[in-house]
Amino acid sequence: MDYALMAKALSMGVAGVNGFPVHVEVFATGGIPGMEIIGLPDASVRESRDRVSAAVINSGRQMLPRRITVNLAPADMKKEGPSFDLPIAVGVLTGMRELLPSPDYDPEDTVLFGELSLDGQVRPINGALPMVISARECGYKSVILPADNAREVACIEGMRILPASTLAQVIRHIEGTEEIVPQQQLSYGDLCQERIITADMSRIRGQQAARRALEVAAAGGHNMLMIGVPGSGKTMLARCLPGILPPMTLEESLETTRIHSISGRLAPGSGLMVIRPFSAPHHSTSVISLIGGGPNAKPGEVSLAHNGVLFLDELPEFSRSALEALRQPLEDGVVSISRIRRQAQYQSSFMLVAAMNPCPCGYFGSSTRVCRCTPNEIRKYLDRISGPLLDRIDLQIEVDAVPVKEINASVLCESSAQVALRVAAARKIQQERYRKEPFFCNAQLSNDALRRYCTMSPDAEALLSAAVEAMHLSMRAYSRILKTARTVADLDHAEIIASAHVAEAVQYRELDQKYWR
Amino acid sequence: MATEKTVFDAWLAGAELPYDLLIPLLHEFGGADAVFSAWKKREEHPLFKAVPPACRKRMNETASEESLRGYRDLAQTHGIQSVTILEEAFPHCLRDLPDPPGVLFFRGNPQVLKAEKPAAMVGSRSASWNGLKAAERIAEGLSRAGVTVISGLALGIDAASHKGCLKGGSPTVAVMGGGLDKVYPPQNEGLMNDILKAGGLLISEYAPGVRPSSYHFPYRNRIISGLADAVILMEAKVRSGSMTTVGHALRQGKEVFAYPGDPVSPLSEANRLLLREGARYFTEAKDVLEDMNWLDNLSYVGQNIECSPKTVPDDPSERAVYLALEKGNLGFDELIAATGLTSSALMSTLTVMQIRKTVEILPGKRYQLVRK
Repeated sequence: MDYALMAKALSMGVAGVNGFPVHVEVFATGGIPGMEIIGLPDASVRESRDRVSAAVINSGRQMLPRRITVNLAPADMKKEGPSFDLPIAVGVLTGMRELLPSPDYDPEDTVLFGELSLDGQVRPINGALPMVISARECGYKSVILPADNAREVACIEGMRILPASTLAQVIRHIEGTEEIVPQQQLSYGDLCQERIITADMSRIRGQQAARRALEVAAAGGHNMLMIGVPGSGKTMLARCLPGILPPMTLEESLETTRIHSISGRLAPGSGLMVIRPFSAPHHSTSVISLIGGGPNAKPGEVSLAHNGVLFLDELPEFSRSALEALRQPLEDGVVSISRIRRQAQYQSSFMLVAAMNPCPCGYFGSSTRVCRCTPNEIRKYLDRISGPLLDRIDLQIEVDAVPVKEINASVLCESSAQVALRVAAARKIQQERYRKEPFFCNAQLSNDALRRYCTMSPDAEALLSAAVEAMHLSMRAYSRILKTARTVADLDHAEIIASAHVAEAVQYRELDQKYWR
Repeated sequence: MATEKTVFDAWLAGAELPYDLLIPLLHEFGGADAVFSAWKKREEHPLFKAVPPACRKRMNETASEESLRGYRDLAQTHGIQSVTILEEAFPHCLRDLPDPPGVLFFRGNPQVLKAEKPAAMVGSRSASWNGLKAAERIAEGLSRAGVTVISGLALGIDAASHKGCLKGGSPTVAVMGGGLDKVYPPQNEGLMNDILKAGGLLISEYAPGVRPSSYHFPYRNRIISGLADAVILMEAKVRSGSMTTVGHALRQGKEVFAYPGDPVSPLSEANRLLLREGARYFTEAKDVLEDMNWLDNLSYVGQNIECSPKTVPDDPSERAVYLALEKGNLGFDELIAATGLTSSALMSTLTVMQIRKTVEILPGKRYQLVRK
């Protein structure tokens, strides 16, 4: 009987942004010594046996000459990644009776995951957050995970989180000789206190119009397009946006961190994300890296920007297919990716901030340099951005270059924190107003909701029709202006949209008249 | 039949013969149809021997029944007519050119060519905003006084001049660089139709079906200046097509006007050069009318002559913006510094002033007062 022994350990796998429980079953018997891993493992899981053997020996235990079968159940789901090293090692040791669990240890209730190094260290893995969230949803009570992943999951309530640095530590914990100290729970509020804003608006000189537009965009969640000559500061302006947007709620942070966690974008030892993500893919990006996909249906840049900002510099240089693919996430806030082996849905509700030059050479309308583009070239350049995409961008603003003497001026401008206060107040008004609606900010207003929530004073109405007449604006521009005016009024704490609000909102559509007529 | 004649004219013009061969040929045979039948019969004629091989090839290729039918169809669908230098209807002013076109094709109303006050307006395709506005304003003023504006239907200054002329109510003439069945540039299709609708004229020395080529345009410019009594340069660089027109005008002894334009902009360097060398200075349509002695006609409505009285707005913020912009155009940040308004208040004010048409926005986000 000594030669046919069973052991079990519990772990988690990841599909999309959700974890699922994986039962690691180990069967050790006589025969030709070796280890076989079954249950649809990928290459990194199969290589686990070599890491496990070395780690076990380097943790002071023996690898007995046994025929070992490791089954990862459910057997019909693909398992990938090195996170099964730890549960396999524990299962194998138990199966060989090299490890005798103490009666306090419940293998059916303790989730294990982590990569092992050959010397028995436990290394951080991707996707810790979604695994722990799903483990809690499945009703498990404790989890042993790599120490470097502990902060990432430290905000989750109702779980005993046991950070481990070595396999030996895990073995001693299971044997009951030395308990692992549970990770202290971190409150999300405390994490937020630590947030450091790297791009502050006080560093921007001049650009009064663009600063204000940024504030309006942040307050209403509007998408924004900046047009300006090279070096006018478009990128710098965009980078300031995460700092003036309201802080993420715990739910938002969990959603966003989860996506970053499975993509391996979190630095080891980092906690939940407290600053909204800022994703800036290069214009040579492919549709797949932008939207997500590949054989394993990985999330793309739009999902990494979930609850944050997607910044597309040099917008017309993006491939047409990449730009058109943006339409679904812009509309629905979610992308569905379907591949032969995987289907996944990733949330991707982001603020789009785009920047572009006014013409191919970049100097159309510049007061200092001469544009060498022909009218035809300019037209072709601008035509690369399709109407439907443009239609989803509420604010369009021209950014002019700031003179050098102004850059050197030591006048301190308003900081992000001051702007953020006004933005937060405006967001609060919106949340209050839309509490019974499925949306929460002005940018999401449908045409129907627009009529319900955007009451204009009579002179505001008169002004808007006069503006449409005088500036040859389309009906589409009309509703965009109304939406933006709603946000301007919210920043002003006004329930009825006054003419001054409409008048300001009109300025954010000027490019319509000038470039795309 | 008029179209039959046009078919043979098109055949002859399509060969693109040098003018010093084309015109003697027409004189010798008395018309394109006679040239055609002689060519068909392979008559031995000394002038035929002088035809360069490339033209010879084209003349043979297009002499087929099929390509003649092509010319006929084009002429009929687009209403293209033609006139040769032998005919009385041929514009007299063009006869005197050193290298006159042998055949002219036209669409629209040929009576326009008999106008008493023809003025050509030329300038860059990528002109400044102010240049375009000035072109339109001056063309309108001239047109009100009964001047026929002649230009090349290109983008930029050409289009603005045609547009202004249409606004002022006089017909306008567009001299094209290709066959009259083609719209070039395609963006100006609407404008081309408007010109025809308003009783204007399209004219070209190129046969129907000929594609506009880059080398056509500078050559065509001699017709633009040739048709006009005055050539008005709105905005151009020194090395530009507009300057070839000016060169033709000087050789043809026409009056040349140059708009002052922005004194530092590289876009109007040719204007400065011409003014320095003694071109006529003008800022208003009236100046051109006076210099050309075209003011006798009382039909001129003096809307553009007098500057409208200054109207400083009453509203304090509008007044502040107005006074700041009186000194020249300003960017947004400069306006904030000059007026002391907040960004949002300034934006509101600018919208109101844009609607009232007291302020306009230039590319590069600069604001200026609208010149009345």
